[in-house]
Amino acid sequence: MADKEATVYIVDVGKSMGQRRNGRDITDLEWAMKYIWDCITNTVATGRKMAMLGVIGLKTDGTDNELGDESHFSHISVLSEIKQFLMSDIRELGELIKPSNVDKGDAISALILAIQMIITHCKKLKWKRKIVLVTNGMGRMNSENLEDIVSKVKEDNIELIILGPDFDDAEYGTKEEDKDPRKAANEALLRTVSEQCDGVFGTLEQAVEEMATPRVKAVRPVASFKGFLQLGNPEEYDTAVRIPVERYPRTMVAKPPTASQFVLRSNTASGEEGQESATVVPESQPEDGSSLTNVRNLRTYQVNDESAPGGKIDIERDELAKGYEYGRTAVHISETDENITRLETTAALELVGFIQSERYERYMHLSNTHIIISSRANDKASLALSSFIHALFELESYAVARLVTKENKPPILVLLAPSIEPEYECLLEVQLPFAEDVRTYRFPPLDKVVTVSGKVVTQHRNLPNDDLLNAMDKYVDSMELKDTDEDGDLIDTPFPIEDSFSPVLHRVNAAIRSRAIHPSDPIPPPAKILTQFSQQPDQLLQNADRHLKNLMEVADVKKVPPKAKGRKRAREPEKPLSGLDVDALLHQEKRVRISPNNAIPEFKQTLAQAETIETTKDAVKQMRSIIEDQIRNSLGDANYDRVTEGLGVVREELISYEEPGHYNEFITELKEALLKEKLGGDRRELWWLVKRSKLGLIEQRESELSEVTEEEAKKFLSAQ
Amino acid sequence: MADDNYNREDDVVEEEEELDETGYKSVRDAVLFAIEVSDSMLQPRPSADPKKRSQESPATAALKCAYHLMQQRIISNPRDMIGVLLYGTKQSKFYDEDESSRGDLSYPNCYLFTDLDIPSAHEVLELRSLVEDEDEAKDILEPSEEPVSMANLLFCANQIFTSKAPNFVSRRLFIVTDNDNPHGNNKSLRSAATVRAKDLYDLGVIIELFPISQVDHEFDTSKFYDDIIYKASPMDPEAPAYLKPESKTTDAHDGISLLNGLLSSINSRSVPRRAQFSNMSLELGPNFKISVSGYILFKRQESARSCYVWLGGEKPQIAKGVTTQIAEDSARTIEKWEIKKAYKFGGDQVCFTPDEQKGLKDFGEPVIRIIGFKPLSALPFWANVKHPLFIYPSEEDYVGSTRVFSALYQKLLKDQKAALVWYIARKTAGPVLAVMMAGEEKVDENGVQKMPSGLWIIPLPFADDVRQNPEATLQVAPESLIDRMRTIVQQLQLPKGVYDPQKYPNPSLQWHYRILQALALDEDIPEKPDDKTLPKYRQIDKRAGDYVFEWSEELDKQYNQITANQAKMTTLAKRPAKGDAADKAAPPAKKIKAEAGSGNIQEEVQKHFAKGTLSKLTVASLRDYLASQGRATAGKKAELLERVEELLETKF
Repeated sequence: MADKEATVYIVDVGKSMGQRRNGRDITDLEWAMKYIWDCITNTVATGRKMAMLGVIGLKTDGTDNELGDESHFSHISVLSEIKQFLMSDIRELGELIKPSNVDKGDAISALILAIQMIITHCKKLKWKRKIVLVTNGMGRMNSENLEDIVSKVKEDNIELIILGPDFDDAEYGTKEEDKDPRKAANEALLRTVSEQCDGVFGTLEQAVEEMATPRVKAVRPVASFKGFLQLGNPEEYDTAVRIPVERYPRTMVAKPPTASQFVLRSNTASGEEGQESATVVPESQPEDGSSLTNVRNLRTYQVNDESAPGGKIDIERDELAKGYEYGRTAVHISETDENITRLETTAALELVGFIQSERYERYMHLSNTHIIISSRANDKASLALSSFIHALFELESYAVARLVTKENKPPILVLLAPSIEPEYECLLEVQLPFAEDVRTYRFPPLDKVVTVSGKVVTQHRNLPNDDLLNAMDKYVDSMELKDTDEDGDLIDTPFPIEDSFSPVLHRVNAAIRSRAIHPSDPIPPPAKILTQFSQQPDQLLQNADRHLKNLMEVADVKKVPPKAKGRKRAREPEKPLSGLDVDALLHQEKRVRISPNNAIPEFKQTLAQAETIETTKDAVKQMRSIIEDQIRNSLGDANYDRVTEGLGVVREELISYEEPGHYNEFITELKEALLKEKLGGDRRELWWLVKRSKLGLIEQRESELSEVTEEEAKKFLSAQ
Repeated sequence: MADDNYNREDDVVEEEEELDETGYKSVRDAVLFAIEVSDSMLQPRPSADPKKRSQESPATAALKCAYHLMQQRIISNPRDMIGVLLYGTKQSKFYDEDESSRGDLSYPNCYLFTDLDIPSAHEVLELRSLVEDEDEAKDILEPSEEPVSMANLLFCANQIFTSKAPNFVSRRLFIVTDNDNPHGNNKSLRSAATVRAKDLYDLGVIIELFPISQVDHEFDTSKFYDDIIYKASPMDPEAPAYLKPESKTTDAHDGISLLNGLLSSINSRSVPRRAQFSNMSLELGPNFKISVSGYILFKRQESARSCYVWLGGEKPQIAKGVTTQIAEDSARTIEKWEIKKAYKFGGDQVCFTPDEQKGLKDFGEPVIRIIGFKPLSALPFWANVKHPLFIYPSEEDYVGSTRVFSALYQKLLKDQKAALVWYIARKTAGPVLAVMMAGEEKVDENGVQKMPSGLWIIPLPFADDVRQNPEATLQVAPESLIDRMRTIVQQLQLPKGVYDPQKYPNPSLQWHYRILQALALDEDIPEKPDDKTLPKYRQIDKRAGDYVFEWSEELDKQYNQITANQAKMTTLAKRPAKGDAADKAAPPAKKIKAEAGSGNIQEEVQKHFAKGTLSKLTVASLRDYLASQGRATAGKKAELLERVEELLETKF
């Protein structure tokens, strides 16, 4: 569990905060709120009940606080007590934050009030306490009793942050020219307070700028395994080694928040007016959220039954037993045998053997990574593991181990690598593939070409010649990402990880927060930092320019014009390996009519040999009657896959022979026949299948000769 | 049949990655074995090794391969089909036809032993008995006196594919034969066969040949088969030129190596190649692009989830689940277009329009863009989040892609460099920063490719994905202790010092299906799993045992020194809790125990067990004991006691 948090924000809403200064196009208050909203929405986004916050308005028109009777607590209002902030609170606060008509109100008094609120709320319990004060430093500040404030802040361990627009900050490099002397004095005062409290004092510009760097959520390490690193079997051999170890994640993908599904409430959806029905209304509803209701998944079960209408019957969940599929055989497993297929295992990290690190292919890494450290606070275990880590390191070896994290969990094979840093030693662990996890797709080698006759060729249009190899060599070298240290010396750095942030994660988070505060504003573009690695660095490109030009010239890569792709008319007919002219043989065969049982090959062959449009037209006609027969004779959905295949082939072929019209005519009439139940009854399911398989009209995007626009094609599919 | 497509859709929801680009086709594979039955195919080839008395003939080896593939695909591709067609047999069988049917046989001397379908348990059993049971085998595996017409065989296969596996993306005919010239010089039979082969090609069926050389005669594909096999697969137009080793002749003269050779070449083609994406731009620099296709070569194979079975019918039937979405307030069924997406935030929903929603993940068109290069050593071992992606050039969009890709590959391999790439897999996928490295081709002992040459894309973790290391105590081991451990490590190298995944089948996956098979076939449940991942304990003891003792002695010595030093340094302070475990770790040196600080909880528990006073132990020590045995530690004391007792009873 994360620590409990209580933060009080003090926002200066004085009249002077409503001004635009120093050439900025937003008011000081809007600027300050950028920062405050960022902090608040960050807290809200965690969804944690114990991450609480309160807000105090400084220099408000009225006075609303428990110490308000005293004069120097006037023009200070508690806008929100310390509590968990929700959307409704954000909306409320949004209404309250606007420049007031006064510049009266003491920042120091507001600080005292904030401390008071925290003391009341947190008492002496364990909380992370924090006060953030944003003010422009105008107005009068009371410098009495500062020691009391400092001692209280320190005593309760409150983190204090004071920021303001155009505050001088030598370190960051801001200095306001012609500063109002009162502001200068107040700045000095606030700086002293914050320094004495070990707090932070800074200029708003820096704080807003730092918002651009995404905040990385720290996750408390949780062990994913505590047990023994074992060598040998301690049950049978007294030569077995057992070292108590713990396993923690080293990498774990942080997922962006997922959107949930909602639909409009029925009363809204059906257009009926008013009348909240008796449905349960979830607690707080936003303006547009109130019209939404959750989506639930309802699962029903069906089995085949030839005697039933439609060939299927519904079965209640209670009537079903658990089981598995073995091929197409259903294997039922009774409840008592539930674990029968589970392999019995005991938790352990057992060493299988060792391999040489240089003979391991890095691409075999199959998963995220973990670390293995010795059981904490166990010096002997630490000593033992350290000797193992160093031995691996010195031998340039990795260990292969079998890991079972909990009793009866499936074993996995992992690779263990030594990691030795000055103050930290551990094993790094990653999962290895099993035999079943490897897909043996094969590809021709890249450094030679083997011809059909088995001859090895080293000069070929698919192989680079020496010029190309040379040009590539130079280009790659010129594009080396080099890092330098402060003195400008080259240093070895790993690939960027620490300063690369998940674009989708932070984009979605930023969008949600922006929408929460400003519901009607468009979503801001992604922060620059998220796309910093999306392009080659300019500097690098300049250096490499000459080599790139050379490489492009030597490579002589040509883009294939989109039209040339997939056009069949001008193409050579496919030939078998021997190069035999099968088409000549086909000619001799004289296949006049397309036979239904060999329809697809014969249709293709007819088109390939067609010399006149008439032949093509006739072939389509024949296919059409074959397909219609298949539909008419289909028992339920029995022939639907054949039909889809047939349609798909006709469609593809007519696109490549540039006769889209024939298909479009065919599919239009077929649609009508299907929906009017002219082909053996209700065939709506088939139409649905056609839709899903995207076998609708051929549109212009697919074939230039088509007269069908994208909208027309869409409309054709969606219309019932 | 059409139903199978629904499952596809479910898969897409779960596994967004496995997207296909095939449009109307169902992403499944159908393999039909066509195994020739002839005197020479049935002639056993004795093993050269006198110890292995095997009588493997080419035909039985082929059947074994089919059986093996069938079992394997039930696990790895449960929706794919397989069938076995014998040809050249005296008997004929095709669906409803056999010798007893009246009229002419459509496909004489073709025996459809296993129909093309997702295999059932019964069919697995049948095929196994054909492989194992000699008598039945003798009946069916009797060669005909008439030669079979290849055209007929090919058309028979055509009909099986057309009717049983319509609309599959991949349909393959595996021909296993030792006859390189079935029709000699008979021109009309030859041309009939070539025409039927062209039909298969146009239908989208790929013929894959597994030639077996005869003892005195090398298989020569140019005599006949080069006329019926086509270069590129029709479904995969960008497939690279024909891979020669595909038809590498299995010419082993003894049965065992014949079987192994055949197995490895069939295994290498067990799954059709499916691209993750095709013709994506690989951008080497501004305005310099080539096209590549991506493939997943490593991916954790999960066992299928349990399903619901209906026992009310004649035989158990899988119930198909249908999900409908309803509105919570009114329980009315809703359509997809009605659904709105919203994020939960501060107890409410924050809404976006579908376009806005899509736009959030849109960082541009799919691309692999090279940002720059670094040495491969700049990729830390731990910087990994998921399986890699393999990419290979395609000439479809840019002519010349292959040679540029090859040049890049050779350069990266030669200098051990890697590229940093900005990688967007799909428009909706969101960008990833990745490292692109070269991988060399690897072949097995039969010359069959195990790992292709190409480039690999390894996604890097973002800063958000990196976890901080927990604090830990560190006692750096002295040289003397490291030296002794080093000896142990040296003793226990895996063969050739490499990890070969093929040697380690997933034990829980195999066990799961082994049991299902036994249940489905009503066999005895096997007692012990064959778990190849278990360490070889006896070997470890034999090879490293003595060295472990030496290391263990040194560990005790070093540890005692540390505790002595610590005691000196902290005479006043109360010993921190961390000493506790360590104190226990020094049992009286009766027997050398190579334990590093696990304490003597075992002995204590055993003592109590012997006396029958286990219940006197605290819950904490029971848990400690169970944990030290790798057992679950959850539950109440009574449950813990039961578990401990059970454990000790089986032990002694």
